[in-house]
Amino acid sequence: MEIISQNVVYFAVVIAIMALLFVWAYFTKRIQKDFSTMTWVLTPVAIAINLTIGQIVLVLKLPVYLDSIGTVLVGVICGPWAGALTGALSNIIAGIILDPGWFPWFPVAAAIGATAGAMANIGFFKNWWKVVVTGFVIAVVATVVGTPINIAVFGGISASGSSIITAFLLETGRSLLSSVLTTNFIAEPIDKIATSLLAFAILDGLSARYLARFPRGENAAIEKGQQVTQVIIALVVVVLLILFAIFILPMLTAQ
Amino acid sequence: MNNRLSFFVPIQSPLHALNPLTKLALVFAMIALAFFSFPWLAPGLVIPIFIAGLVGKVQNQYFFVVTRLILPTVAFMFIMQSLFLPLGDVTIFAFWIFDVTRESLQAAFITVSRIFVMVSSFTLLLLTTHPSELMTDLTRRGLPPQFAYVIISTLQIIPQMQAKAQTIIAAQSSRGLDTQSTFAKRVGALVPLVGPMVFGSLVEVEERAIAIEARGFTSTRVKTSLKDVPDSRFDQILRWGILVIVILAIISRLWLS
Repeated sequence: MEIISQNVVYFAVVIAIMALLFVWAYFTKRIQKDFSTMTWVLTPVAIAINLTIGQIVLVLKLPVYLDSIGTVLVGVICGPWAGALTGALSNIIAGIILDPGWFPWFPVAAAIGATAGAMANIGFFKNWWKVVVTGFVIAVVATVVGTPINIAVFGGISASGSSIITAFLLETGRSLLSSVLTTNFIAEPIDKIATSLLAFAILDGLSARYLARFPRGENAAIEKGQQVTQVIIALVVVVLLILFAIFILPMLTAQ
Repeated sequence: MNNRLSFFVPIQSPLHALNPLTKLALVFAMIALAFFSFPWLAPGLVIPIFIAGLVGKVQNQYFFVVTRLILPTVAFMFIMQSLFLPLGDVTIFAFWIFDVTRESLQAAFITVSRIFVMVSSFTLLLLTTHPSELMTDLTRRGLPPQFAYVIISTLQIIPQMQAKAQTIIAAQSSRGLDTQSTFAKRVGALVPLVGPMVFGSLVEVEERAIAIEARGFTSTRVKTSLKDVPDSRFDQILRWGILVIVILAIISRLWLS
């Protein structure tokens, strides 16, 4: 709790900036433009995709979560505000039907959707390596948002598997904040890059006519028209990342 | 994925009869008291939660959720935190590279009680309130109806998607897809299973958008509700009482420390 009380001013500043951004976007009608009927109907489907794929991955015991594919999808084709809303509601619904322990993480999910939307708006969702960059940025943002929640609510060590890395780092004499940050920087990028690439592969499978019905469908249009190769590269990278997480990460952390 | 789609238990009890907003306010009050009031208050808040469980006649279901969901998480966190948090000097016992100090035990105990209180109060809310009742009440109080649409419709889409997944599994197995054997084969089978499910659900979006557009989804007129959610005088007094208690508790904490 000491860390939180020291940084309470920074939190207040960040929240004030977010609120100003919201007011600005609201009164310049930027938010309203992104929330068409298609957006409202896509949101529940995206949440269902999040939860269903997340549960399948959990059953298969893969070392990733992949529980925000739908959030990234909405962020890209309906804009950052819709992405943030999808992420937040996704965690609230997971709290209703799976485990109330999901509720406190909703700002992380909202940040993931907002970042995906912002990156897609500046054109970073158009070929496979740009999507990898987007995934990495999402991971950094998720870490920055998630670490304070992890420390304030769960005391730094929550019940997820990666807490073992945190415990190991604490034992080597690092501070709590740096241990939690390091853990998330190890665990998040693989998951978020794989998530973004899968969302990219899904978007690529949808027709241009369908995507054009969404407020920002043009964000997902692929450069240069080499669609097939782009998707194959994206899927190969996902498989490599998951293999990396299965075989390399345990070796790195076991030292 | 679980078969049940919400924790709700459909019986009559004083807790079920409360207005949903009052219950939501109680949950947030519990969380505020556990996290922002005096740290020693958090373990004590477990008692009112147990009483609420008895009043709501959901003690069996609550106990089930506690043992299946909450206790494993909380126990794991308690052990890990008391072993690894780098706090304090007064070692209670030590073995190999681990040492448990009084401060780390205290910190772990308080964190774990806070988590327990938070998750428990949400569980009780969900056990005694149907999600659509909560949404109806919040919409009546000014929540945009689109939010209610998203939450209620997700709760309906998930079982549809599960049914669709079963159909797809049956269809692909009949074409010779291996969904039973080794790990590598099951992971490989994921693409022909998840692909049709995801694309199928996404394609339905367009039809559904046209359907709800035709039923006045984007209309800004005030919509009437078929179901009336009661809000008694007692509920209103209770809500103001909760607010006063929470503010007093937080102010006294800030004032005394």
